[in-house]
Amino acid sequence: MYNPRDIINLISAHVRKSRNPFGIPSSQINTWWREAPGFTRRPGDALLVTGLMYQSIPYIEATTRYLERLEGSRWADYLRFGRLSRYIPSFVVGRGFACLTSKASMQQFNRILVSICRLLTQSSVDFFYHPEMDFYSGILLYDLGDQEGFVEHAKFVARTLKLHGVKKIITVDPHTTYALKELYPKYTGVSFEVQPYFALLRPHQVSRGNGRPPVAIHDPCFYGRYLKVSEGPRQLLSGLGLSYTEVRNCGEFTSCCGGPAESVSPALNREILDRRVAELKASGAPVVTFCPICLANLLKAGLPVEDLASLLDRSW
Amino acid sequence: MALVNPDFAEELKAFGVDTALECFNCGTCAAICPLIFEHFPRKMIRYVQVGATEKILQQAQELWRCLHCGLCTQTCPRQANPAELILGLRRYVVARWRRA
Repeated sequence: MYNPRDIINLISAHVRKSRNPFGIPSSQINTWWREAPGFTRRPGDALLVTGLMYQSIPYIEATTRYLERLEGSRWADYLRFGRLSRYIPSFVVGRGFACLTSKASMQQFNRILVSICRLLTQSSVDFFYHPEMDFYSGILLYDLGDQEGFVEHAKFVARTLKLHGVKKIITVDPHTTYALKELYPKYTGVSFEVQPYFALLRPHQVSRGNGRPPVAIHDPCFYGRYLKVSEGPRQLLSGLGLSYTEVRNCGEFTSCCGGPAESVSPALNREILDRRVAELKASGAPVVTFCPICLANLLKAGLPVEDLASLLDRSW
Repeated sequence: MALVNPDFAEELKAFGVDTALECFNCGTCAAICPLIFEHFPRKMIRYVQVGATEKILQQAQELWRCLHCGLCTQTCPRQANPAELILGLRRYVVARWRRA
């Protein structure tokens, strides 16, 4: 296990420097919208906020690869010097990351966001996207206990969104949804009307999915327990005629995939992940989930898994 | 031997923890916790109740093993909210580190 203090100092310094946990320009992470013409910068009722979560997965994978190798070795202690990276210009760190991340992985996760936009458009949802208004929520700082850092960042984000007259927000992942819906009103005093994208989808025709094998649902902890919205995806699947099977520990009692441990202990992450994978494998069905962290983790374990948006987009 | 701070549960309110004394130490949280690790989080909650601040600081690193998955809070029969308690303890420890 890494010293949490080193991890917190490093992430906190990065968020202060570049408004994301990696210390690189957000414009380097957030490129999905360039492949999604027609969704951006148009007038609309609600702002789509990705919280940079799906786009961050290739960067998380790259970072975790190295953390996994060094955990428990004498090199792990050198992480305490990581915070000095704040003195390295963002674009230089960005170049380094560019060499470590896979383009295929970036495209894979960017495509999910394009699918979400397509689904929203097909459901006649009045939304718009503006990359400069799409901020990381700061949720990792909150989870790690850096209250001061989280509140400072959240206030910046809330102030900027308020300044641009944003009132309604559509989110795509459970962590950003929880931050904007529950934590921002509490810690910044600013409230938005926040809804996850799947709550707005309206399938028009049924039975396209008939004949497909059932999928097993892995509920993310934050949707299942903290926000209690597990029913939404199930209703959508049923509405499209797609059958699903419940695994052991689902909905409000879902099992964690181990993702939150990734930054301080990749070994612990593996241990928790293996247990959840065994539960999911027991169903014998391909898995569907709706959280980028869970998705990346389950993919890492070699499970046949896909994001809810990709499945819905194919079946719509 | 350890010094105890009887006001510790009260001090933790500044870090968003106000349910520590609700816990009656039944151990449901430790039984359901996916970490299966040395009576976590029950042990930490007990330390808070008796004000064993030093013990918490000595074992502070364990707090970051918590996945914040919320299963303990979901099943707690006393609504003591163990997950938020651990998060509050992290905030307390981080504030101590920053002050040091």
